[in-house]
Amino acid sequence: MKKRFLSLLLVLLLIIALLPGCSKKDDTKDVDNTKVGVTNKPEDKPSDDGKKKEIKEFTAFFAVPGTEINDDNVSMEKLAELTGAKCKETWLTGQTAEEAVGTLIAGGEYPDFICGSTGHAQLLEAGAYIPIDQYWDNYPNVKNYLSEEEWNKVRAEDGHVYIIPQFGIINEKDTECVHNDEAFWIQTRVLKWDNYPKITTLDQYFDLIERYLAANPTMPDGTPNIGYEILSDDWRYFCLENPPFFLDGYPNDGCVIVDPNTLEVSDYNTTETAKKYFAKLNEEFQKGIIDPETFTMSYDQYIAKVSSGRVLGMVDQHWNFQQAEDAIKTQELDDCTYVPLGIVMNEGTKERYHSASALDVSNGLGITVSCNDVEGAMKFLNDLLSQEALTLRFWGIEGQDYMVGDGGVFYRTEEQRKNFVSQDYQVANLCKYSYFPQYEGMNLDGINAWEPGSQPGEFFEALSTEVQECLKAYGAETYVQMLNPSQENSPWFPMWSYSNTFTSDTEHGMAKVNMDEVKHEYLPKAVMAKDFEAAWQDYMNVYNDRVNVDAYLKALKAEVDRRIAVAEGK
Amino acid sequence: MEVAKQRKQKIIKDKGPKITRREMKKQKELIFLSIPFVIYALIFYYAPLGGWIMAFQNYKPKGGLLHSQFVGLAKFKTLFSNDVFIRVIRNTLCMGIINLVLSFIFSIGLAILLNEVRNRRGKKFVQTVSYLPHFLSWIIVTGIVLDVLSLETGIINQALVALHIIEKPINWLAYPKFFWLIVGFSNVWKETGWGSIIYLASITSINPDLYEAASIDGAGRLQKIFHITLPGIKPTIFILLLINVGNVLNAGFEVQYLLGNGLVQSVSQTIDIYVLKYGISMGDYSIGTAAGIFKSVVSIIIIFLANKAAKMAGEERLF
Repeated sequence: MKKRFLSLLLVLLLIIALLPGCSKKDDTKDVDNTKVGVTNKPEDKPSDDGKKKEIKEFTAFFAVPGTEINDDNVSMEKLAELTGAKCKETWLTGQTAEEAVGTLIAGGEYPDFICGSTGHAQLLEAGAYIPIDQYWDNYPNVKNYLSEEEWNKVRAEDGHVYIIPQFGIINEKDTECVHNDEAFWIQTRVLKWDNYPKITTLDQYFDLIERYLAANPTMPDGTPNIGYEILSDDWRYFCLENPPFFLDGYPNDGCVIVDPNTLEVSDYNTTETAKKYFAKLNEEFQKGIIDPETFTMSYDQYIAKVSSGRVLGMVDQHWNFQQAEDAIKTQELDDCTYVPLGIVMNEGTKERYHSASALDVSNGLGITVSCNDVEGAMKFLNDLLSQEALTLRFWGIEGQDYMVGDGGVFYRTEEQRKNFVSQDYQVANLCKYSYFPQYEGMNLDGINAWEPGSQPGEFFEALSTEVQECLKAYGAETYVQMLNPSQENSPWFPMWSYSNTFTSDTEHGMAKVNMDEVKHEYLPKAVMAKDFEAAWQDYMNVYNDRVNVDAYLKALKAEVDRRIAVAEGK
Repeated sequence: MEVAKQRKQKIIKDKGPKITRREMKKQKELIFLSIPFVIYALIFYYAPLGGWIMAFQNYKPKGGLLHSQFVGLAKFKTLFSNDVFIRVIRNTLCMGIINLVLSFIFSIGLAILLNEVRNRRGKKFVQTVSYLPHFLSWIIVTGIVLDVLSLETGIINQALVALHIIEKPINWLAYPKFFWLIVGFSNVWKETGWGSIIYLASITSINPDLYEAASIDGAGRLQKIFHITLPGIKPTIFILLLINVGNVLNAGFEVQYLLGNGLVQSVSQTIDIYVLKYGISMGDYSIGTAAGIFKSVVSIIIIFLANKAAKMAGEERLF
């Protein structure tokens, strides 16, 4: 009897537990229904009690790594009040962009908004986007976002605009303070220890790390310091393979070296510099300066190691390890954050690590054919480009995330600055919609920069004293000034926006696949080898045997010529 | 049991050739009941096979199946002229066989050991704990494996160094020669407990009289295991072996994908990873489908061969 009662009770409990789940589902269905209703009759005035339901919900997928924010994020709610819509953003997790996009295409169902990153070409080919230029007449912020000539660059072969580039659209002037790209990074404590020496060559760089590590084998808490990390997880192995062209003073074309004088293309994998660079890595690996685990680490393990503040230096793109640096700041290990160094192979080479933000037309935000409410989506994009929305997105909420001083100049208190780098605070309070269109440089008000990190004064003030001291020692006020000022971008720059579109059914596409595969296996082998010469010879043999370099270079050369022709208006 | 089986076989053999209308009428409820399942199978197992057409086309998502160009067997030719694919087949087969062998030995071993435990509570406890890892997803298990094998904090390296078996910690995942075993033992860790359930169930169906009789005849524990328990579960072992042999080419995807790295990629990539890489991320869906077809066809052949072999050896078989 007792048992029976108990089981009855349990069943009841189960039913009760299930009920809210069901009713919740029904609720969202209701919202969806009203969404459709609203789009059909836009003239309907929202009634007071139905106000909450008027908020449209879009979905977005960005094929780049990112952090999902909370569903009840404070700024997102504010933006929803302002624009009448919000968007659930999801990001890449544990896959490459091509894999994620390929899976979406194979399924044929897309989110409302999508940014394919390196999978954009596939999305275009699959007909996943709606032509934005057919809808934009009622949405001036979208239409005037780029100039007519710039839109022409974005147009696909059929003449339609399918994507909106989000980055490198500068209002008034470039205010970039952070070097977000690739460099040899080093912790400020290492530079400080040696009284801020001038470091320009690879040998000097590793020499400094070696000496520091010999003098300071451990962190204050006793965990051992790690001299150098080379991330080589999947597509992120650029940290291992692409420094050779930087070391020779070329900008980040990614897949190839283009000689600015002769316009000839060449393979950076087999240059003298490449061999010297990997020989140097081999030497450091044998000495134990490079983490012995480095080639078997996953990206997560790498981020965990960098976050601990133990890693003295590495080559990386700043956006790739930013979350680790934020973690270091949150732990208040102020002398363990990184500054970029423009390292070259031979003294006298002019480094070009920092490039001006270029309008990258190979990539952008598109509205997909699965979106039921294209007009609503366009309105959302349009509203997000208003100054009020832009301020909410990148500065946050007035009084809570920033203050307004004399003459409308924004500034932040110490606490607000700390909040801004804390992951927990970010996901609960800030909503940048960072892969939606945005203006960089100055705000439309002409007083403030587009985000706190670019605000003159605010940027330097927000740095830790350790970093301030370091920058001052090198006569710099921003991270960007640690490197050579950017030169004007060549018309073909960046070539990676072309090589990213290769597919495996072409000869040059196969060459790239094979190249990646060979390098991914043999470069770590060469760095770890006891006998570097033999390992390098082995690598070169396999490389020449399996990679059709001629077809690869030929395709790239043709694209360089095409881009120059476009730039010259032919 | 033997008698029942023989009788059943006889019935099947006798009824086999003559399915008469009367017979069907007699079984009309049963036939009626089976219709939903036939429809289910048609929709979910056979209809998707239409997608196999892709392998014979130069498939582009925009054109769809109807408007893509047919290229005959060209995609299969590229597939088999590619050394990478040949290597991938080898990896898949080897890891599949290693997984199969290890999982059999460990599951049966665990089942027998558990069966010998006299304390019922202890037995239940161990059994429950041992199959819990089955419910973890691979992403978590590989995370654990990476930690366990880690150079600095990994328990394996620390234990081996402390026992003076090795001098310096070894970076296990950097050497191709260890990779297959790491995958095999990760599988063992995750699936042994789960796999042993079915053997335990089949052990309980062995008539206890046999054990009693053996005890009276003076058989020890080991003798009882070898002469009663193992022969008792032999039919189960054979059926499971047959089913799993068909799965050899499903050697896995997540484990290899998550544990692999550049240094070991020549031994870590399986057919499934190949399909993902070339089919999905490089946008060549046709070659992915061709590789998938190859895998299915080979699996079917293997299962038929194994069944035939079992038949010839006079053992339990699937069909």
